[in-house]
Amino acid sequence: MSDQLESKHPQPEPSDKPRFSAIVLIYVREMRDQLRDRRTLFTIALLPIMLYPLVGTVLLQIAQFTRQHTTSVCIVGAENIHGVPPLLEGEAFADKYADGSSNLRLVIRATDDLKKNDTLATATIRWIREGTYDAVVVFPPNLRTDASDSDEKIPSVKVFYNLASDESQVALTRISKVLSDWRVDWVSESLQASGIDLAIMEPFELNDIDLAPESTREAAFWSKILPFIMLIWAMTGAFYPAIDLVAGEKERGTLETLLCSPALRSEIVWGKLGAVASFSMLTALLNAGSMLVTSSFVFQQIGVAGVTVGPPPLVPMLWLFVALIPLSCLFSALALAVAAMARSSKEGQYYLMPLMMVTLPLVLLPMLPGMNLSTGTSLIPVTGMFLLVRSLVEGQYTQALLHLPMVIGVTMGCLWLAVTWAKRQFENEAVLFGGQEQWELGLWVKHLWRDRQPVATTSQAYACGAIILVALFFGRLAATSVPIDLAGLAKMVISPQIGLILAPALLMSVMLTTSVRTSLRVRWPNLLSLPMAVVLGVTLHPLYLALGKWIEYTYPVSDEALKAMLPFVEQLATLPWVSVIFLMAFVPAVCEELAFRGFIFGGLIRQGGRLRAVVVTALIFGISHGFLQQSIAASCMGVLLGFIALRTGSVLPCMLLHFTNNALSVSVGRLADSGLPGIEMFITKTQAGPAYQPLWFLLSIGLAITCVLYFASLRSPVDESNMADVEPTPGSKEPASQTATV
Amino acid sequence: MIQVDQLTKTYDDLSRGRFVAVDHVSFSVGKGEIFGLLGPNGAGKTTVLRILSTVLAPTSGRATVAGYDVVSDPAAIRRNIGFVSNNTAIYDRMTAWELVSYFGRLHGMHRKQLHTRLEFLFDQLRMNEFRNVPGGKMSTGMKQKVSIARAMVHDPPVLIFDEATLGLDVLVARNLLGVIRALRESGKCLIFSTHIMSEVQRLCDRIAIMHQGRILDIGTLAELRQRHDEDEFEELFFGLLSQFENGRDGDWNEKLEFDSQPPREGDVPS
Repeated sequence: MSDQLESKHPQPEPSDKPRFSAIVLIYVREMRDQLRDRRTLFTIALLPIMLYPLVGTVLLQIAQFTRQHTTSVCIVGAENIHGVPPLLEGEAFADKYADGSSNLRLVIRATDDLKKNDTLATATIRWIREGTYDAVVVFPPNLRTDASDSDEKIPSVKVFYNLASDESQVALTRISKVLSDWRVDWVSESLQASGIDLAIMEPFELNDIDLAPESTREAAFWSKILPFIMLIWAMTGAFYPAIDLVAGEKERGTLETLLCSPALRSEIVWGKLGAVASFSMLTALLNAGSMLVTSSFVFQQIGVAGVTVGPPPLVPMLWLFVALIPLSCLFSALALAVAAMARSSKEGQYYLMPLMMVTLPLVLLPMLPGMNLSTGTSLIPVTGMFLLVRSLVEGQYTQALLHLPMVIGVTMGCLWLAVTWAKRQFENEAVLFGGQEQWELGLWVKHLWRDRQPVATTSQAYACGAIILVALFFGRLAATSVPIDLAGLAKMVISPQIGLILAPALLMSVMLTTSVRTSLRVRWPNLLSLPMAVVLGVTLHPLYLALGKWIEYTYPVSDEALKAMLPFVEQLATLPWVSVIFLMAFVPAVCEELAFRGFIFGGLIRQGGRLRAVVVTALIFGISHGFLQQSIAASCMGVLLGFIALRTGSVLPCMLLHFTNNALSVSVGRLADSGLPGIEMFITKTQAGPAYQPLWFLLSIGLAITCVLYFASLRSPVDESNMADVEPTPGSKEPASQTATV
Repeated sequence: MIQVDQLTKTYDDLSRGRFVAVDHVSFSVGKGEIFGLLGPNGAGKTTVLRILSTVLAPTSGRATVAGYDVVSDPAAIRRNIGFVSNNTAIYDRMTAWELVSYFGRLHGMHRKQLHTRLEFLFDQLRMNEFRNVPGGKMSTGMKQKVSIARAMVHDPPVLIFDEATLGLDVLVARNLLGVIRALRESGKCLIFSTHIMSEVQRLCDRIAIMHQGRILDIGTLAELRQRHDEDEFEELFFGLLSQFENGRDGDWNEKLEFDSQPPREGDVPS
């Protein structure tokens, strides 16, 4: 048989780089395919054009409906109102106090006009709860015009209403306005009667003058609304095509056709990404356009009082369009990666909802009052870009240009991560061909036990991270008091560290894996890496401290938080040094590293997930710190720790680095005070606390970089990312070759 | 053209745990040959063919197609094969002509060359009546023809058909077998999987019988008949299957003997 075989030697491979022509080909096909689909056309084109006029119509009708609702108010004790100024004229408020609209109905009842066995209190409760009246106003018997008998208690007019009913709240607002106007008149008349000049009532007049130029004033409205509308639709516009182009194609079986064609995976991803992003942008633009046209028409027709809204200035609109491109691409890449996990369109929609929930806050954040473009906000993905566009639309070009590099850097970084994720998804056959199987609790538990492996699976790693974060969240809620002594401090540190961080990882490792040591990545690394980790910890600390200061400057800690932390900080300075080191450096280094760089890292690095392991553990590690400022610093540290975990293949150097860093953080103050010979060459005392000497700072950075380079030169002794998903199967040793000798 | 050596593929499965879909399978197929993979559903045929078409990666073992390795050179293999499977559907919103020409262009064919090739294929497969019919409106037979044209558009030396006749009516299936035979005449290397015995008997030069991820026996029809001393192919097939299943319960290593020593007639339960 062997002579039949072609023994062709592998020819030099034509480049595996994505071909531009193939990407364009796939892009054009996907676009044409979507444009031929009636549902897509409806969502992206027809819906926006119809939506805004329809919404406008409905809103106008609802507004008319609410205006027509008559507010009914019962006045009890009107007979107690004597003399001036008159509040009521017959069955209505005096013209002076009426707010002009006719839909206010007054029912005037005497205090004793009640059924038998009925008190005013019970009757009022009944009227309000049953909705007989929207509000009930009760004037007390002691209400008098001459307030000269000052020894008497101040009379109180009571307005009863129902907070749960909108009509009742409207009634309260209207009644309050009438009554307070009436009260002012009353006071004025009394003063006049006593011969006092009314001018003392109003020592000055209050005038607010808006100096914003006309264009900015108009832009202010659009700069808030338009980016928001566009981002929301860019997201929605990415979702449906992404589901259809990946999950839908899987369901219809066309994805496999494409996968066995000569198109490279990267070409497929880029082509599809282009198509999804195009639809995302198209949807956003059509929606923004339709909203602009509809609303300017509506504003022209009805003219909203006090708001002058002209057409948005054209040039800033171009900025918005430019900003839309990377954001659309970002949403599209995320949607594509998530949709790849789904086996059908229906499943895809389930997966995209959580994605929407995660991204939505980033779009909503810039809408909060007081959110402005700053170094801090420019670092938040999506939000930064949103705020940048707002500055541009408002014409604050200096501010915008200042933060432009940061925003672009963050956006591009996120885009790169999202595209990388999408590409990985298309290279993962479990994602593309995952079987559809019945899920059953019993089977699953059995599977967890039976198919244990030496290292956690990726999903177990994610689960462990989630459990730790949720446990810490509730743990923090439960722990409210700041410790006042060593025992309290020990309890505050040890119980979450061991109970909420180490315990989940350890338990999962014992129950779900076959080797606790391997799953926690406790193995001997290159021996030199251990002292090097300590050196890195020492030399990196000045930079870490500077990072912490910069973060506090950029995202200032609130005064209350500082005040709450104060006793804790003071305690650290007074407690025995050894105990502080043990609690603040040793315990966290061991517990957190075993959980994050041990169990979770080991699960995430499998199947080529090096980048995933580093990034995700850094994020979970960061979030676990609770305070935003600490989280940012910890995430940065987490990336470095993850890198070392990756290069050494062990959790031990990470523990040492973590320990050294924490130990220095809690001892810098003591070291500065220690008076050790030569210590002033490294640390000085400043007003803001101990700081490193500038010379040592520079030198240490150089040393730290050298250490990092050393770690970069290491190669992990075990290839964890390729860790066999398969143990030797029972049949593997058998001579299973049955190639018959023909 | 195709060489498969100790190919193994395992999956994690909730109910069965680590599940071996393909278990140390080895075979080879030459030029101008039709090789049949015969086995009941779930035998692992589709998995083998998906690995050969580089859609799945093997867990262990080696396979080369047209001289390229499936693990290190998947892109080169995809340029040299045509893969038709039950799972490789066609796009609903593309006409027959558009679809075949799309895949031709993905193969980097030039417009003029592609046009000539398309005219030739549409004539040969008698597809001219539904040239402009979108996939969504085609019958199963039409779709299958489009799939075959799609796989043949770049005139690949190796063609892989996975259960290609499944769901086709007798007439269309017969046509398909004719096409496959014609391809053999033009010197292509063909691998063909099915669970229908008559197709294998009529078409294949050599046959591998697969069951539960393993190849039970391999050879020409005549060789198989001779080795198992059974003229009726259906009996031979079921005999092998039940012998294997009995062997699985006991010691498989001993039962392996039949590989070199053909079992006596009495050994095959009928």
